[in-house]
Amino acid sequence: MNAPFYKFGFFSFDVSLIVAFVIGIGFGFMLERGGFGNARILAAQFYFTNMRVLKVMFTAIVTAMIGIFYLSLIGWVDLSLVYLSDTYIVPQVIGGLILGFGFVIGGYCPGTSFVSLATGRYDGLVFALGVVAGIFVFGELFPYISDFFYSTPMGKVRLNEWLGVSYGMIVLAVVLMALGAFAAAEWGEKVMAKKNGGVIE
Amino acid sequence: MKNLFEKLSGSQKLAAAAILLGLFAAFAGDPFDNTYTKINTKEIALDAMNNSDKVDVRELAEWLIEAKADFRLIDLRTEEKFNEYFIPSAANIQPAELMNANLMRNEKIVLYADENTTAAQAWFLLKSKDYKAVYILEGGLDMWKDKVLFPKLASDADAEEKMEFAKFSEVSKFFGGMPQTGLEEIDKAEQKLPELKLPASTTLDIPKKKKKREGC
Amino acid sequence: MTSLTHVLTKFKTAAGEKSHEHVVEAKPYSNPYYVGVGLGLVLLAAFVIMGRGLGASGALSTVTALTVNTVAPSHAEGNQFYQGYLGDGTTNPLKDWLVFEVLGVLAGGFLSGIFAGRIKVKVEKGPRISSKKRLVFAFLGGALMGFGAKLARGCTSGQALTGGALLNLGSWAFMMAVFAGAYAFAYFMRRQWT
Repeated sequence: MNAPFYKFGFFSFDVSLIVAFVIGIGFGFMLERGGFGNARILAAQFYFTNMRVLKVMFTAIVTAMIGIFYLSLIGWVDLSLVYLSDTYIVPQVIGGLILGFGFVIGGYCPGTSFVSLATGRYDGLVFALGVVAGIFVFGELFPYISDFFYSTPMGKVRLNEWLGVSYGMIVLAVVLMALGAFAAAEWGEKVMAKKNGGVIE
Repeated sequence: MKNLFEKLSGSQKLAAAAILLGLFAAFAGDPFDNTYTKINTKEIALDAMNNSDKVDVRELAEWLIEAKADFRLIDLRTEEKFNEYFIPSAANIQPAELMNANLMRNEKIVLYADENTTAAQAWFLLKSKDYKAVYILEGGLDMWKDKVLFPKLASDADAEEKMEFAKFSEVSKFFGGMPQTGLEEIDKAEQKLPELKLPASTTLDIPKKKKKREGC
Repeated sequence: MTSLTHVLTKFKTAAGEKSHEHVVEAKPYSNPYYVGVGLGLVLLAAFVIMGRGLGASGALSTVTALTVNTVAPSHAEGNQFYQGYLGDGTTNPLKDWLVFEVLGVLAGGFLSGIFAGRIKVKVEKGPRISSKKRLVFAFLGGALMGFGAKLARGCTSGQALTGGALLNLGSWAFMMAVFAGAYAFAYFMRRQWT
């Protein structure tokens, strides 16, 4: 099997847009199922009262990570053709911090705000408009911050290359880390529920 | 053992599966090892034998004059050489960068370097990665110069050769070349390459932009 | 759940509607681990079929660039950032993979919401804050998110989820920074949520 199919020219760009729509439906459906369309559930994450977000997110990462690892291992997928974005470590960490502030203030991230507005939430719509405003500000400032934007380039680098261990070792480490986080989350939820009088939201 | 497994909740079963798969992954080897490709040696040998994988420089010249756009012309030489001169519409991609260059597997790709060898190596690389329609510009840029930019007319040419020469002189002039009648040999050094009037190729920029946006 | 119903009733009263004694309860959310596997499989499908991951903020960038280009074309032309989303002008910028994917997200979220009876026109907020204030915060948070996502080259979908599964170094650093930023700031925002 030759995958990724698109990169092997199995279908055209126009068809890829239909694929995008179908994959998007799956994405949106799963986000809504996960409770990501609700800002209160997303924010509860940061007060340890409801850790669904962490659970869903890390389970998804582990699933896709294991899946793509084994599919590449048996030679069905050419992993080198799966797009990996370049690392610019400092701007990405700073961007992540800003995004974290925005997350706890606004209650969504761009993807979840779409789900939230699709299920009728005004705050999701307003949040999405806010994102557009933020991107506009970034675009206007881009000429002044582009030096910073392109600083500390590290190219395409994976955790295993950076740490100098095998890919599989990192897969195992991520699995163990995720399971540890899940155990901690389950425990934390119980503790907080006791504190708040037995209500898990 | 079976009882124990049945006692686990769905989530715990998932966790157990994840641990097993993770443990196996740690010792399973490298996922990039398996990017080996099977090569249809027969097909490649046949292509090479009946020259169906080669494009003649004059054929290419005609395509360019007709402004055909159904193929991508790739210049494999160094950036320096490329900036000096390139065949119109060519994009500069180093052989090592070919795999990352966002070429489509179903488009017609014509490769050239100074001579045949580099192009042949790149041709093999792309063929082995399942690119369907890869061609080599026969003789490379050297042949392009000889036959298209600076065609020569031997002093003892017969009428038919002269007629053909006249035709190719026009082609040569189209590309800014200098046809030579051969009565007096012009020094090689004086064969000045045409100035690049065309803007740097645009074909390379488009996929670059798209690529940047592949992320979020 | 009780507080949710409470908030809902309060909001409905505020909106001038008659508050009903009996509010239809939305179905509880599914087991997060099962949903995670489902989400992971969607991501895996994107890898296998397209050779790329999921995204969200990229689509809004296209919308932003297009808006700027419509209002002030010459301004957009001089800006490398907008140009990256407008392309070379030979195709419509909206004919973009992420734009179509996001349209799918809207449809998918709506479908799931309908099946679970979770479609409600309202403002999602904590019990101690007014709707108006909540919307102001939503806008502010969104703006920070938009700026941060562009600086980090992706949002939670494009970097954390996609890059996380591919073991991308930058994505993992980004993810840690997001959690660090959010937890560090959570204390100051507690009045909004709890």
